[in-house]
Amino acid sequence: MVTVNIDSRGTACPGPLTDIIRAYKKASNGDILVVMATDPGIKADSKSWCDRTKNQLVDVKEKNGEYTVTIKITGKS
Amino acid sequence: MKRILIVGGGAGGLITANKLAQDLSVELKKEEISISVIDPAVYHEFQPGYIGIAFKGEKPEAMRRHVSSLILRGINLIPEKCARIIPEENKIVTGSGRNMSYDYLVVGTGCEPDYSQIDGLSRDNLDYHTSAEKSANLYRAVSSMKTGKIVVGIAGLPYKCPPSPNEAALLLDEFFTRSGLRERVSINFVTPYIRIYPAEPINEVIEPLFRERNIEMSTGFTVDRIDTAGKKVISLEGDEIPYDTLMLVPPHKPGDFLKGQDFTDEDGWIKTGKTDLHISTYENAFAIGDVTNIPISKAGVEAHLEGIVVGENIVSDITGNNVKALFTGRTQCSMETGYGKATFVIGTYTKPVLKLSPSKDKYIMKKMMEAMYWDALMGRTEAIFKAYFGDDYIQYQSRPVRAPA
Ligand SMILES: Cc1cc2nc3c(=O)[nH]c(=O)nc-3n(C[C@H](O)[C@H](O)[C@H](O)COP(=O)(O)OP(=O)(O)OC[C@H]3O[C@@H](n4cnc5c(N)ncnc54)[C@H](O)[C@@H]3O)c2cc1C
Repeated sequence: MVTVNIDSRGTACPGPLTDIIRAYKKASNGDILVVMATDPGIKADSKSWCDRTKNQLVDVKEKNGEYTVTIKITGKS
Repeated sequence: MKRILIVGGGAGGLITANKLAQDLSVELKKEEISISVIDPAVYHEFQPGYIGIAFKGEKPEAMRRHVSSLILRGINLIPEKCARIIPEENKIVTGSGRNMSYDYLVVGTGCEPDYSQIDGLSRDNLDYHTSAEKSANLYRAVSSMKTGKIVVGIAGLPYKCPPSPNEAALLLDEFFTRSGLRERVSINFVTPYIRIYPAEPINEVIEPLFRERNIEMSTGFTVDRIDTAGKKVISLEGDEIPYDTLMLVPPHKPGDFLKGQDFTDEDGWIKTGKTDLHISTYENAFAIGDVTNIPISKAGVEAHLEGIVVGENIVSDITGNNVKALFTGRTQCSMETGYGKATFVIGTYTKPVLKLSPSKDKYIMKKMMEAMYWDALMGRTEAIFKAYFGDDYIQYQSRPVRAPA
């Protein structure tokens, strides 16, 4: 199990989701993706993406316009 | 003599070289500078034309020209591959083992489909992202198809020209509708994103078209592998989509020679400053176009505008003109939506993507931009681009005044 930090700050839609999908491809079940982003779209998009792909949205934090999204990879077959 | 070396003579490299040759024509004539382009390709292909070849039967020959016919007099064309870039020593090593030193370096080696990332994909996939010839093969396959399930869309990220898979689906619908076979041919669009087009404003105008035209939508589907025996596309979650004909856009990769370098990321994309386009911390080295790790679309308009910015800054450095140009992140990807209509995906680093409905006017504009392509590479259309892109063309920032030595 590894934690992968992804810095998507300063990238706008679909930047953060592109980074998440690329990291997902390389990840294994149990891995944690921690995504930092400034695009407010990340909040709704990461939720929809997790719902759609059976991964788990652990946490979304917002501080001074910066979002930290934590996703646990659980969807891979 | 100041030596400017441009690695890769594609959409970005050619405009950079030609702009430099125009703006520094006096220095070039006096042999105070040299401009060299190193690229093994004999022909440059107009890659956006692959869509017309693959889905409308346009001629591949019309989409290519000799690289040597696309550079201005005075530029040296070196028909070789770059095998290694060593920015800390201001030099590159060519495929034949020759060292070439430079004072300024511009890298624009693009990217290419990477079939190795998706098991089975190379066996069954019809491709419209590699070459004009392969795109013509796709059209032949489509033309002989009478019935069956087409799976079209995105097999992995990143890839060139974000709207191209959407265009493919919409143009396939038009093709089979016009030939009276649409009822017998199903089209399923797969994407790892949660929308048909990832940027919401464009999705709002595109998704209704997919519904109207009965194109199935498989969103959040991240392709893992292709089961060629069972004719199924399999996702990372184990979901399956059956196909008879497969037309997925493979994930792309930068040239293998860039892997494992300090100035590239783990996949080989060049670490590039978003606005100043410097390679990593190197003041005299720049990257443009698809090879950068800049998180915007990989598209020709960006490669072009980045080439202009880098050109401006090199000219400014050589002539002592105290301005610094910055790239605005402007995108302008066209999306043909069928039946003679198109839209554009337009945004910058600071302006979100616009909601632009498809129209005939935009289709005409797309066609006009295509017709200008070869002249644009030669730097003959900049006055038009400047007027059209306005503030997004270049952002200027004065250089800090240097203390006298
Ligand atoms: C189907 C399709 C549709 C598209 N539609 C659009 C569109 O509508 N609008 C748009 O703006 N863009 C579009 N594009 C994208 C656009 O064509 C590319 O983004 C653009 O060509 C990138 O320019 P570049 O200079 O970075 O790379 P390229 O133009 O690909 O050029 C790279 C050059 O580098 C050379 N090279 C590679 N490796 C080496 C090496 N080791 N040494 C020396 N030379 C090397 C290659 O031979 C090539 O000449 C589309 C692309 C495709 C495939």
